[in-house]
Amino acid sequence: MLGDLLMNLDMITTIVLRGAAVGSLFAIIAMSFNIVHNATGILNFAQGTIFLLGAFGAFLFANRAGFAVWIPMLVVVSLVIGLFTAAQGWLTLKPLRSSVEQNSWIISTVSVSVIIAAVLTLNFGVFGNMVHGPVPRVSIMGVRTPGAFLLAIGSMFAWYFILRWFLRRTFQGLAISALSQDFEAARAAGLDVRKLQLLAFGISGVIAGSVGFMVAPMISVSPDAGLRYVLNGFVAAVVGGIGNNTGTLIGGPLVGIVAAVTAFYIGGAYQDLASLLVLVLILMFLPQGLFGRAAARKV
Amino acid sequence: MNTQTITSSAQPRPETSSFDSDTQQLWLASGLLLITGIVPALFGNAYWEHSFQLMNIYIAVTVLQNWLFVDAGQKSFGQGVLLGLGAYGLAVASGVFDQPIAVGLFWGIVASAAGGLLFALPALRVQGFHLGFVTLSAAVVFPQLLLQMDDLTQGLNGISMPMRGLSEPLLLGVSTLSLLCTAAPIIALLFHYKMRRSRLGRRMRTAAESPEAARSLGIRPGVMSSLAFLIASVGTGICGLLFVPAVSFVTPQSFLMDVSFIFFFAVVVGGRGQLLGPVVGIWAVFTIPNILLVDLAHYKPLVYGFITLFVVILFPDGIVGTIEEFRQKKRKAGGGERAFHLTALTDWLSALPDHKAAAEDEPILTVRGATKRFGSVVAVDRVDFDLRPGEVHGLIGANGSGKTSLLNILNGFSRMNEGSYHFAGRDVSKATAPAIAERGLGRTFQTPRVFPSFSVWNNVRVGLDARETEMPAGLEQILREMEAEHADGMPTLLSHGQRRILEVVRVVLKDSPVVLFDEPAAGLSGEEREEFSKLVKLLSRKLGTAVVLVEHDLELVWSIADRITVLETGSVIASGRPADLVRDPAVQHLFVGGAHVDA
Repeated sequence: MLGDLLMNLDMITTIVLRGAAVGSLFAIIAMSFNIVHNATGILNFAQGTIFLLGAFGAFLFANRAGFAVWIPMLVVVSLVIGLFTAAQGWLTLKPLRSSVEQNSWIISTVSVSVIIAAVLTLNFGVFGNMVHGPVPRVSIMGVRTPGAFLLAIGSMFAWYFILRWFLRRTFQGLAISALSQDFEAARAAGLDVRKLQLLAFGISGVIAGSVGFMVAPMISVSPDAGLRYVLNGFVAAVVGGIGNNTGTLIGGPLVGIVAAVTAFYIGGAYQDLASLLVLVLILMFLPQGLFGRAAARKV
Repeated sequence: MNTQTITSSAQPRPETSSFDSDTQQLWLASGLLLITGIVPALFGNAYWEHSFQLMNIYIAVTVLQNWLFVDAGQKSFGQGVLLGLGAYGLAVASGVFDQPIAVGLFWGIVASAAGGLLFALPALRVQGFHLGFVTLSAAVVFPQLLLQMDDLTQGLNGISMPMRGLSEPLLLGVSTLSLLCTAAPIIALLFHYKMRRSRLGRRMRTAAESPEAARSLGIRPGVMSSLAFLIASVGTGICGLLFVPAVSFVTPQSFLMDVSFIFFFAVVVGGRGQLLGPVVGIWAVFTIPNILLVDLAHYKPLVYGFITLFVVILFPDGIVGTIEEFRQKKRKAGGGERAFHLTALTDWLSALPDHKAAAEDEPILTVRGATKRFGSVVAVDRVDFDLRPGEVHGLIGANGSGKTSLLNILNGFSRMNEGSYHFAGRDVSKATAPAIAERGLGRTFQTPRVFPSFSVWNNVRVGLDARETEMPAGLEQILREMEAEHADGMPTLLSHGQRRILEVVRVVLKDSPVVLFDEPAAGLSGEEREEFSKLVKLLSRKLGTAVVLVEHDLELVWSIADRITVLETGSVIASGRPADLVRDPAVQHLFVGGAHVDA
C-alpha cells in the first residue's frame, strides 16, 4: 500500500518535473516571441528553428565537452544566433516599409523557418541526434533528473529576470517597452525605431539560441523538432497573454505539464494534439489569455 | 415618387471591367487548365496525364486558399489537412470498411467540414496570426494522428484504393478522372470569380480589409472569417475526394506539412488575390522543382522556401501581381479619376416631398450618464445626449474632449463603463457595433475607410449591401449612372476630400435613420463642403435622418446644426440651439481668433 503510494509519488514527480522542464522551454520561446512582438507587432514563426540552431550548435561544438569548452561555446553560439536573428529581422521588416499588404511577415518568417529546417535536414539528415552536456544528473525527491531539466527551469527564471531588468532599467529596454505602448509616439519622440526593433530580434535570438544550446541533451535534436517548439511556445504565450512575460511563467509549465500528462496516460504522439486543443479552447474562451490586458481600440 | 429624367449621357457598361483583369485571368487560367488537363490524354501520354491530374487538384486547393487568404483575409497553413481529411474520409469508409462510394464521399466531406470547424470556431473570436498558429498546429498534428489511429488508417502502410472505372477513357481517350480533375480548379476559379462579384463576397472582403468599417456596416467579422473557413474546408475536402482516385492510395506521407506549405507558398508566389495566381504558383513552387529536382528531392523544401522568401521581399505582389501592376501603371498614366459629386444625390433628395415630422419630440437615441474610462483617463464623463429624428446635432470641442469617444459609444465600438443607452426603442447599452448598425445607425471615420482592392463603385456599393430598406425608384437610376461612371475607378487615385465624399455616399446608401459623421469636412474643397452641407440638410428634411456631426469647422456646424453640444474633457459644458449657444460664455473661448459666426 505504502509502496504503491511511493511509486505513484515517484511517477507524479517524474511527470511534473518533465512537464515543468519542457514547459520552461515553451515559456522561454514565448518570452522570445514577446520581445519581438512588443517591438514590432510581429510573431516570428522561425523562433522554433532558431531555438533548434542553438541545440545543433551544442551538437557540433560542445558535445561531450567539459565546462571549459561548453561555456565559451555557449556564449559564441548564442551571439552568432543573435546576429543571425537580427539579420532575419532586417529582412522581415524590409518589405513592411513599402508594401500595402501588412502581413508579409507571416510569409517571410514561415519561409525562413522552412529554409533553416531544410538546410539542417540536408546537412544532418532527418533523424534525431544525441547530445551530452556537462551538467550531471541530480536526485530530486528520489527521482534521478537529467541536469538539462534543471538548466531549462533555471534559464526560464534567469531570462525572465534579465528581461525584466533590461526592459525596466536600461534605456534601450525602456525604449522597446515604449514601442509596445505607442509606436507613433515613440517615433515622434525621436527613438530610432528600426534599430530598436533589430535589437529586439537579436535579443530574441540570443534567448532562444542560448537555451537551445543548454538543453540540447533533453530534446530531440532533429530538424523538424523546431515546429513543435514554436507551436507550443505560441500556446504558452497565448495562455499567458501575448506580450506578457510574467504570464509565460505560468503558461509555459502549464502547457508542458498538459503535454507530459497526455504523453503518460494517452501516448506521446498525442502531446501536440493536446496543445492544439488547449490553444483552440483558450482562443475561444479567453482570447486575451490568463494575464493579458485588453487593448484600447483605435478608430 | 420622383421621376426626374437624367440628361447626362451615361455610358453603357463595358462587358469587362478595366479596374481589374479578373475576367481575362479567369479565361486564361481556364484555358491553361483545359490544355494541361486534356491534351496529354489526347496524345495518350499516361505519365503527363497522371501528373497533371494531381497538379490540377493542387491548383484547385490553392485557388480556395487564395480566396481564403485575400478575399476573406485568413492565413491558413493547414489546407493540406483538409485535403487529407477529405481523402481519408473516403478511403477509410470505402477502402477499409467497404462502404459504397457514395457513403465514402459523404464521410470525406463530413471529415473535412469537421476539420474546418476546428479552424472556424476560433476564427469567431480571434483574427490574424492566432489562426496561423492554429492551422500550423493542425498541419503538424494531422500526420501524427494518421499514424497513431492505425485501426482506421492502416498507419504508415496507407490505404490502397484504386478506382479503375474512373480512369477508363470516356471521350477521345480522355478519362472521367481527367475531366473531373480539370473541372475542379475551373469550378473553384468560377467560385472565386463569382464570389468577388457577390454581396457576401464584398462583405467578407470588407471585413478582411477593415474590421471597424465592416462592423459599422452591420458585418460581423468573426462570422465572416468563420464562414470562409468552412466554405474553403468543404471545397478542399472535395478536392481530397478526387485525390484518392488520382493517386490510387493514401498514406500519411501525402499529407505532411510540406503539402500545406506548398499551397500557401503557391498563393504568394503566384500573386495574392490574382485569379491566375494559383496556376502560376503551383507550377512555380511544385511542378518545376519536381521536374528539375527529380533526383534531388531533399532540396525541394529549400527551393520553395527560397523562392517564396525571394518573392515576398522583392516582388510582394507575386508573379501575376507584378505583371498586373505594370498594366495598372500604364493606366494611371492615362489620367486621373472622374470627380465624385454629390449633386446627383442632392438633386434627387430636393425633389422628394418633405419628411412628415411624425414623432418630432420623441428622441430616437437617448444616452444617460455615459462614462468611458481608459485606465485612469476619463474620456467620456457622465454625458447625457439626445437625438431626435430629423435633427442635425453638432458635437464640438477641442481635441481630446471626448467627441470621437462619444461617437464610438453611440455606434457600439466601445462599451460604456457606466450609463445607459437606448436606441430605436431598445436598450443597446451592451449591444455590439454590428447589432447597432443593423438597427439603423451608420457612421463615417476620421480617416475614410476606402478599400483599394475595390473599384470606386464597389466601395460605394458596400453601403448599398448593408441597406435594409427598399430602394426608391429614383435612386436606382442615379446608382446606375454612378456605376457606369465609377465601375472602373481606382480609389487610390482619389483625393482626400473625394475619399470623404465616397464614404458619405456609402453611408447615405446604407439608409440609416441615424448617421454619425466624424470630421466630415476636413480636407474638403470649398465646393465639396457646400455639397456636403446641402446633403446633410436634405437628409434631415427629406428623409428625416438624424445626424450627429463631429466637426472642427465651426462655421459649417453653425450653419447646418439644429442643436449643438459642446464637450470639454469628456463632459458636456453647453448644449442648445446655435443662436443661443453663440452667446453662451462657456462657449465663447472656442471662437477666439477664429471663425466669424453669423448665427
